[in-house]
Amino acid sequence: MSLLEIEGLRVQFRTATGVSRAVDGLSLSVDAGQVLAIVGESGCGKSVTAMAILGLLPEGISRADGTIRFEGRDLLALTDREMQKIRGKAVSMVFQEPMTSLNPVLTVGRQIGETLRLHEGLGRRATEARALEMLRLVGIPEPERRLKQYPHELSGGMRQRVMIAMALACNPRLLIADEPTTALDVTVQAQILDLMRDLIGRTGTGMVLITHDFGVVAEMAQRVVVMYAGRKVEEAPVRDLFAAPRHPYTRALLDSMPRLTEGGEAPEELTEIPGVVPALTEPVRACTFEPRCPRASDQCRTLYPPFRECGDDHMVACWNPEPQPDAAVAEPRRQGEMKA
Amino acid sequence: MLRYMVRRILATIPVMVVVAIFVFSLLYFAPGDPAAIIAGDQATAEDIALIRESLGLDRPFLVRFGEWSWNILNGDLGTSIFTGLPITHLIAQRIEPTLSLTVLTLVFAILVAVPLGVLAAWKAGTWVDSAVMIFAVLGFSVPIFVVGYILAWLMALQLGWLPVQGYRSIGDGLWPWFRSLILPSISLGCVYIALIARITRSTVVEVLRQDYIRTARAKGLAQMPTLFIHGLRNAAVPIVTVIGIGFAMLISGTVVTESVFALPGLGRLTIDAILHRDYPVIQALVLIFSFAYVLVNLAVDLAYTLFDPRIRY
Repeated sequence: MSLLEIEGLRVQFRTATGVSRAVDGLSLSVDAGQVLAIVGESGCGKSVTAMAILGLLPEGISRADGTIRFEGRDLLALTDREMQKIRGKAVSMVFQEPMTSLNPVLTVGRQIGETLRLHEGLGRRATEARALEMLRLVGIPEPERRLKQYPHELSGGMRQRVMIAMALACNPRLLIADEPTTALDVTVQAQILDLMRDLIGRTGTGMVLITHDFGVVAEMAQRVVVMYAGRKVEEAPVRDLFAAPRHPYTRALLDSMPRLTEGGEAPEELTEIPGVVPALTEPVRACTFEPRCPRASDQCRTLYPPFRECGDDHMVACWNPEPQPDAAVAEPRRQGEMKA
Repeated sequence: MLRYMVRRILATIPVMVVVAIFVFSLLYFAPGDPAAIIAGDQATAEDIALIRESLGLDRPFLVRFGEWSWNILNGDLGTSIFTGLPITHLIAQRIEPTLSLTVLTLVFAILVAVPLGVLAAWKAGTWVDSAVMIFAVLGFSVPIFVVGYILAWLMALQLGWLPVQGYRSIGDGLWPWFRSLILPSISLGCVYIALIARITRSTVVEVLRQDYIRTARAKGLAQMPTLFIHGLRNAAVPIVTVIGIGFAMLISGTVVTESVFALPGLGRLTIDAILHRDYPVIQALVLIFSFAYVLVNLAVDLAYTLFDPRIRY
């Protein structure tokens, strides 16, 4: 049994312009100790998926269907009170914005301690001791002093360390990190990534890493799910995905990432993906990426492609996937079968 | 912090000087001659002139103002023209009901309005929110005396639960004192509650959109602690500000409330003084009310530091 198993997750929002399908039939699974990256442009449903796992979708205007099984329990079926026992304890989260994700009027110690008192029922002394230990663990200098400080007295990197300390304080079995390094300086990014990898490696915590940065993916993840317009378009082990992206969208994402050329000369020209993410309120019949896709064919304009195997442990939702560099022969045949 | 406090207290001095000049000139230039009122209907022009002279009303403006200010600085607020009693004495007699009424109303209004506003913010867009906001609009627009008379009629005359009017000193026991102030506090508090509840709602709605609220929920915190620990504390500064500003409303409200419920307080004293053109008393009272307002708002400024660690003086 996987640690986290999402099956057919659909999240819909009621908006002024109609029902928006932010996540449309997403399935994925994460094992203990594994890091799964979810990649995609903004608005593709990555963060909504994270909020759905935690049961923190805005009340009243959103609906989630499907199943989110965590250690066998369907989280979508739990009451808010039951979810409160899981949030911050078994499943915890690190958010994108360390600047705004910490409460400005409470001390760092109080904010870390809150989780501990809540879930571990620790007393005042024990809470403080454990909070101190957590600050040490995430490598914050002078932790005794930091405990009594407020978020605005800390730098961005330090605040993200506090967020991580908070998230890991109760030894969660699943950590969701939503763009954990996006708001940080590049040098600090690497430190934070190292820290997270080190900490979850030590404890065997499973992790869902949400990012749009393939550099972060390469650094952290074992598996990658690429999302586009609320749907999963490709899934593969990280190495395979980088070596041979099959979905034109994944390819385009990889090509739009700057890379250093040999000798540190001027990098090759970056490609951008033309067009924008489609409105999620339109009903889906054709492939949603088709208008932006260089490989689009007539078939793409009539029917959304099925999510299918296109190689060893490599899945893609595309009628005309990018050729596989070494085994380019295998693929056209399979395509022919599909058409027939 | 201490330096800031001293500076702020010193800064109230020019404010009070301006208030004093304003109060003094207002009544100096206002129509109506106190000498004529004291002299009565039958008085001749000489009688009036004599009285005016004996009160020193014939002397120039600056001389009178200078004398008045000097006396105040020495703790002498002057003598009431109408009763002939020292004003400090009059105020000492009347301050207890007013102080009781304002403090009780303040506490009661905050205890009702803040949770109400938080509730409305939490349930924003639902019928709970609408109900609270309708109540707030009503509370704000229905005059104090209307609320007061309706309450007195219902709770006192019809149901007989509470006294219709009158004041019992706190020396007579806590319960009688409290009972005599329930209806006045509710009448006076309505406007204040409406004001605070509205501000609380809009501020908390704003705060609840912040990322740290999401963080608090993601930690597994339940709705109530999220609202009151993480939400309300961040909303505290605007709320406390409006409590301070609204204090002026409370002061003017006591004048009406004390009349409706026949409480022998400073508000009644003010009305009596105005009706009798008792200039020294009016001046002294306005000065005292202004001073109270300035003090409350000083307290508000200092309270900011308690709620928001980013504010340092």
